[in-house]
Amino acid sequence: MKAGTFLEIVGEFYEGTVFIYGTTLLLIYALLAFLSLGAVRKFNNLDGYLDYTLLLNSHHTPGISVIAPAFNEALTIIENVHSLLNLNYPKYEVIIVNDGSTDNSLELMIKEFDLAEVDFAYNERLKTKPVRRILRSTNPAYAKLLVVDKENGKAKADASNAGINVSSFDYFLCTDVDSILDRNTVMKLIKPVMDESKKRVIAIGATLRMANSCVIEQGYMQRVVVPKQLLPRFQEIEYIRSFVMGKMGWSVINCVPNVSGGLGLFDKEIAINAGGYDPLSFGEDMELVIRMMTYCVNYDIKYAIRYIPITLCWTEGPVSLKVYGRQRSRWARGLAQLMFAHRKLLFNPRYGRLGMIVMPYNLVFELLAPVVEALGIIYYIVIIILGAINWEYAWVLLVFVYSYAVMISTLSILWDQLTYHTYKTWREIIIICATAFFEMLAYHPLIVFFSIKGYFNFIANRKHIWGNMQRQGFGQAAKTRAITAST
Amino acid sequence: MPPTFVADSLFGPFFRKYFYYYDSYPVVIQIAIFLTGVAISTTVIAYSSILFRRGRGYLIDIRTKKINNFIDNLITDQIIFNEDVLNGVQAQDVRLDLVPFQKPVFAQKWVKQALINRLIYFSNSFSGDRNILFKRLFVELELEKLSFKKLKSFGLSTKIVGLVELTNMGVAVADVIILPLTNSRNRKLRSEARIAYIKLSKNDPFKFFDDATEPLLLWDQLELFKIITTTEGLNIPNFARWITYSSNKSIVSFCLKLVIYYNQHEAVPAILKLLDTKDHYLRVDAINCLGKLKAEEVEEKLVLIYTNQPLRCQIEILKAIGRFASGKQVQFLRSEFIRTSDFDIKKNAARSLINHGRLAKDMVQDLIDTATPDNAIILKHCMNPLIKY
Repeated sequence: MKAGTFLEIVGEFYEGTVFIYGTTLLLIYALLAFLSLGAVRKFNNLDGYLDYTLLLNSHHTPGISVIAPAFNEALTIIENVHSLLNLNYPKYEVIIVNDGSTDNSLELMIKEFDLAEVDFAYNERLKTKPVRRILRSTNPAYAKLLVVDKENGKAKADASNAGINVSSFDYFLCTDVDSILDRNTVMKLIKPVMDESKKRVIAIGATLRMANSCVIEQGYMQRVVVPKQLLPRFQEIEYIRSFVMGKMGWSVINCVPNVSGGLGLFDKEIAINAGGYDPLSFGEDMELVIRMMTYCVNYDIKYAIRYIPITLCWTEGPVSLKVYGRQRSRWARGLAQLMFAHRKLLFNPRYGRLGMIVMPYNLVFELLAPVVEALGIIYYIVIIILGAINWEYAWVLLVFVYSYAVMISTLSILWDQLTYHTYKTWREIIIICATAFFEMLAYHPLIVFFSIKGYFNFIANRKHIWGNMQRQGFGQAAKTRAITAST
Repeated sequence: MPPTFVADSLFGPFFRKYFYYYDSYPVVIQIAIFLTGVAISTTVIAYSSILFRRGRGYLIDIRTKKINNFIDNLITDQIIFNEDVLNGVQAQDVRLDLVPFQKPVFAQKWVKQALINRLIYFSNSFSGDRNILFKRLFVELELEKLSFKKLKSFGLSTKIVGLVELTNMGVAVADVIILPLTNSRNRKLRSEARIAYIKLSKNDPFKFFDDATEPLLLWDQLELFKIITTTEGLNIPNFARWITYSSNKSIVSFCLKLVIYYNQHEAVPAILKLLDTKDHYLRVDAINCLGKLKAEEVEEKLVLIYTNQPLRCQIEILKAIGRFASGKQVQFLRSEFIRTSDFDIKKNAARSLINHGRLAKDMVQDLIDTATPDNAIILKHCMNPLIKY
């Protein structure tokens, strides 16, 4: 066989495979767009009739434990704890897990909330780093607050597990202490649990967005604004697409792969029986959800994971490329780690949708996508160098992929607008819509690059450096920080 | 239908005109061109839709605000500050001036709808004579006919709107219309029909409990509970009837909650029978109900069945004994506290012992003095007023 012929065969095989791969992915996106539209419309129709205040005045409202791990959050911890203590819900507790902070977070909380150490019967259902002490407020105004002071576990998972161990209620809501929650978050998230009779709702999520540039005062969201910096703005679009279209679509067929660590309500019994969060995982939120689903299948429990299309949580997205890259590499590494650890579920019909849809989709179209894209770019470069490229076809295909990507992002923005009038001005709408046109060219290559870096770290088993998120802080705290910095 | 055929029939002429070599392209490229066209069109439609929706929403907001102000002023003049009402005239005898509500502007459908919405809002905000007047206005303006029309329509969401309007305005609807809807497959319609039936049925407001085949979701239970416990003049039956005979577990569970609320001690024999049910979630509810009713007479029976129960039921039995606080089972609680290695059982036994107050004071002190450090901390946890759960 001549070398040229061999290369041609390889080239044709590669092109054919990529074509099938790409077409399938585009069809899945189209399917998700339809499914999520149906789900968003259904949510809107029902939500319009609902009187959530019923939950506020009923004795039968389920109790919720809100768990927020904190590590060196002195900048914003006081106002954020105040904000968590003022959620619109009658029966809940706030558990702040001080994960061995080296700053004065704990001292600030002790002073602000009149905390005192109590003899607390700690039941270590999930193994964690040692808990030093448990504190409660002597001020009745903060009776809902419980603070766990523990040794640093070098992972949010360890702190979250400690929070689960001390929680009192059947459902727990996991969030980050620096995230901003909508005041009605708990009411909205518990609703899907109360709407299901045939399946056990084991996890519920909602849309997350970027808090960067939003107007936040005393831990409360005052006004949602499109991020001014470019990187968070791209992330805003990415989050809208991922939550409003992706997860809502998967929710319709009960194939949600992940409930974000930034905001999720979980069935405590199932979470504990599934082993809680894995402190060694780099993607502990998805890892927990996969294990909870596996547990349900193993014990013949009919489960459901639900998503609601409204934004209930705002988180500060990385502004610098360095921090962003570290975050994305970690996520990619977490996905690779998860796929490897749960490889027995892949294409395993015993696990139903989990084995036949959730895991294969995440393997083929999430884990492998950056690899396929990177190979595609290399292939393009090679055929350009060899002069074997048909420029006319290449442009047609590039324009096609670009226009399809813009369409999917635009539809996500539209679906988001159907439920949630996030942005007040026309200018903001125009900015977010315009961002969709640059995302694929300017932002997507970053995702591919940092994902591949994450996979490389996983394969090479390189040590992960957690680093500092370098948060800017919100509202008054940010101003105070700025003043301190300038003096 | 193959995509190339669709592409050819829809966009073929266009592409042939502007892409000279279109027919000579490979199928893959033809599909790509076709889908590019679809993507661009969809994007344009999506943008137009965003613009249209925002624009329309803005205009509707302005329009609604304006008409609501107008309606509110009329209602304030005609009902809230009605002279007859202020002079103490009975609601039935108050003269209502309908003329301002019959101005040409009210001929428009959306204005009529705005009027209905405002009447519902005011009706829910006021009680007494004014509440009756809002209902009178609703009927005398023949707005109830519009609501009935909606109720009879085929569209489910329109039907729901009609039902909600009639329920809120307290207009009687025949049982024969509502009852079938209480088992509708549509979750919202079913829920609204059940609420309407309880509020509006003149004969037997709980009749649908007999025939409910669809489960009563927890959210529905919240809604119904509120309606049942806040509707004036409702004849409250003995809920033991459904606890005994209903095959719908969610109805039984809901009735147990109502039994607690209305403190129906006479339902205890029916609840006791539930202790034999195979569904342990229902058993948990039954034990919880007995505890909250303080049905002390069943305490011995609960202790008797304790060992054969799953963990959830055992915990509920311990809680119930704590609620009875009769002092008869303190030894049982003590032995459970010492014997078990299960944290939750230990904690609930300790809490129930402490709930006994002075009846178990010495025993608790003795336990603290002699307990292992782990046991002692559980007791201190339960005694600490700062720790609620």
